[in-house]
Parts: sequence; structure tokens; C-alpha cells
Amino acid sequence: MTHRTRHLFPVLACLAAAFLFAPLGPRAQTSSAQSSTSARAERWLHVRVISTNSKGETVRVNVPLELAEKVLPAIDHDRLHNGKVRIGCMDCDGVDVRTIFEAVRSSRDGEFVTVQSKDEDVSVMKKEGQLLVHVHDKKRSKDAQIEVKVPMKVVEALLSGSKDELDIVAGLHALAGQGDVELVSVKDEDNTIRVWLDSKNVTTD
Amino acid sequence: MVLLAKIALGFGATVVLAGAYTFREGLIRVDVDETRGQGQHVHVWAPAAIVPMAMHFVPRAQMLRAGEHSAKFMPLVHAVAKELQKYPEAELVEVHDGEQYVRIRTHHGNLLIDANEPGQTVHVSCPLSTIDDVSRELAALAPAS
Repeated sequence: MTHRTRHLFPVLACLAAAFLFAPLGPRAQTSSAQSSTSARAERWLHVRVISTNSKGETVRVNVPLELAEKVLPAIDHDRLHNGKVRIGCMDCDGVDVRTIFEAVRSSRDGEFVTVQSKDEDVSVMKKEGQLLVHVHDKKRSKDAQIEVKVPMKVVEALLSGSKDELDIVAGLHALAGQGDVELVSVKDEDNTIRVWLDSKNVTTD
Repeated sequence: MVLLAKIALGFGATVVLAGAYTFREGLIRVDVDETRGQGQHVHVWAPAAIVPMAMHFVPRAQMLRAGEHSAKFMPLVHAVAKELQKYPEAELVEVHDGEQYVRIRTHHGNLLIDANEPGQTVHVSCPLSTIDDVSRELAALAPAS
């Protein structure tokens, strides 16, 4: 080692040490983000509420399904325990919801409930593995439309827990296996509400 | 002269290394600006790495009490922070209500909360890894139920 290079040694050692330590955090975070994004297709649950009133309220919520699946079991509050919601009316007025669902699941596609009245029309049908509920509220000045679309597999997963409880985590897990789907759509004179599932982490509307 | 240069270099290198180590986990930043009334302004910037370190110097009794008080929700905070680290860039919640505005998102592995309302603005930024560390420590101190 020459006299000149000997002087450079502490500088090089210092720089090497700085490079070793300084970029650890951000680089690790970036690389983990890239790997997590590319390793699996993320599924995101989106909720959007747009109000057309004078304030113009808007709500946008984007939740990764995997996060919801992991976090829900950590909530222990009121009727929600271990990712399951205890509900007291799975046998409402002598009507066994599970038995009805089993009957619907094993039956062919078709419209099971149709109610038509002066105020509203309601229909419940099964179509291509999905349970569809459509409500047309005619009472308001501008007609309100409510559409709910739930894959049968999700309903099955929700009811997979013990009696009188809904297994939300199992439902979310089943939902993650579905393609892009609009689960809830509500349009009335004041609000537009959408709940849907896709693989984007932002609301693009 | 050469000796002085070496000392200065050693000191500089130490400062750089200490700075790099201290700030490697980012910053905790809390900005509160009130433009109404007395108009208070609170600005706290602290390196995130010192928080888990500082927790070791808090008296055990105080930590146990904190663990007891936060026992109900700390496992949830820990689960959220741990999972959110997988989503370093995400828009989670955005609410506009007239002049009020709330936005919760992750950016570069930090949890960012922005809230604006007439007369008050709040910005909070905290590395998710720090929330994870702190919540894990506090959850571990919670009394067994």
C-alpha cells in the first residue's frame, strides 16, 4: 500500500460503512413491496360513496382482502369474535336460513322471489353461481335501484361456521378467489354507493 | 495538520453513521396547525428508531400500566401495522365532507394521516415498522386474559 492509498483507506472504509447502513430501510421496503406485488395478485375491496347533496360528500375506502382476513380475527368486540359474527336470527321466526340456502344452492338458476308492489319491486335470483338481489324503490322522486351480487361460494363460506354465526374471514377468503365483481350498487336521488372487488389498489372511477 | 484532518474525518464519519443509523427507519412527524382562536402550532419530528429504544428506558411499572390500558386494542393495532407493511403504497381511506377532508394512506412504508377542517390541519406520518414494534411490545405487556 502506497503512502497515498494509505490516506484514502479511512475515507473508503467510512463510505463503505455508510453505504452498508444508510440505505437499508428504504431499499428493504421497496424490494419487499415489489416482491409482494409481483408474487401474488392482490385483491382489493373498494367502497365508494358519492353524495350529490350541497356538501358533495365522498367516501373512498380501499382494503386489501388479505389484510382484512388477517386483521379481523384480532378484533374481539361485541358480537365479533375470531373473525366470526354471532347473529341471533339464523332461525328467524321458524325459517332456517341454512336450509333455505342449501335448497337454493342445489337448485338450478332461476328467480326465486319476486315481489311487485306500488312502492317497490324486489327480486331474488340465482344466476351463474351468484345470488342476485334487485330492489327498485319507486317511492322516491327519483327511482332508487339497489343491486346486490354475492357469489354462492361466498355465501357458503359465510355459513360454514357453527350455528348462529357468520364466518366473515371464510367469506373474505372465498371472495378473494373470485374475479373482479361488483358486489353492491345503490343509486338514488342523493347517493351513489358501490362496493366492488378488483386487483387495483386505487379507486379508478 | 494531517492529524487534525484524520480527527475531523473520524468525527464526520461517526456523525454520518450515527445519523444514518438513527434515521434508517424514517421519521415520526406530527404537524398540527390551528388557524382559529389562539392558533396553536405543534410540530414534532423525531427519528423513528429512537422510539423502540426509548421504551427500554421507561420504568417497568409504567410500561405494564400502558400495556394494561392498551390491552384491548393493541393486538389489533399490531395486526394492522404488520399487515400494512405489505402495502407500502396504498390509498386506504379518503373522505370529503364539505370543507372537511380526511385521508389515510401508506407511502414509502409510512402510515400517513391527513385531516383538514376549517381552522385546523393535522398531518401525521409514522413508519409502519415503528407502529409494529411498539404495538408488539405493548401487546406483550398486556395481562393474560
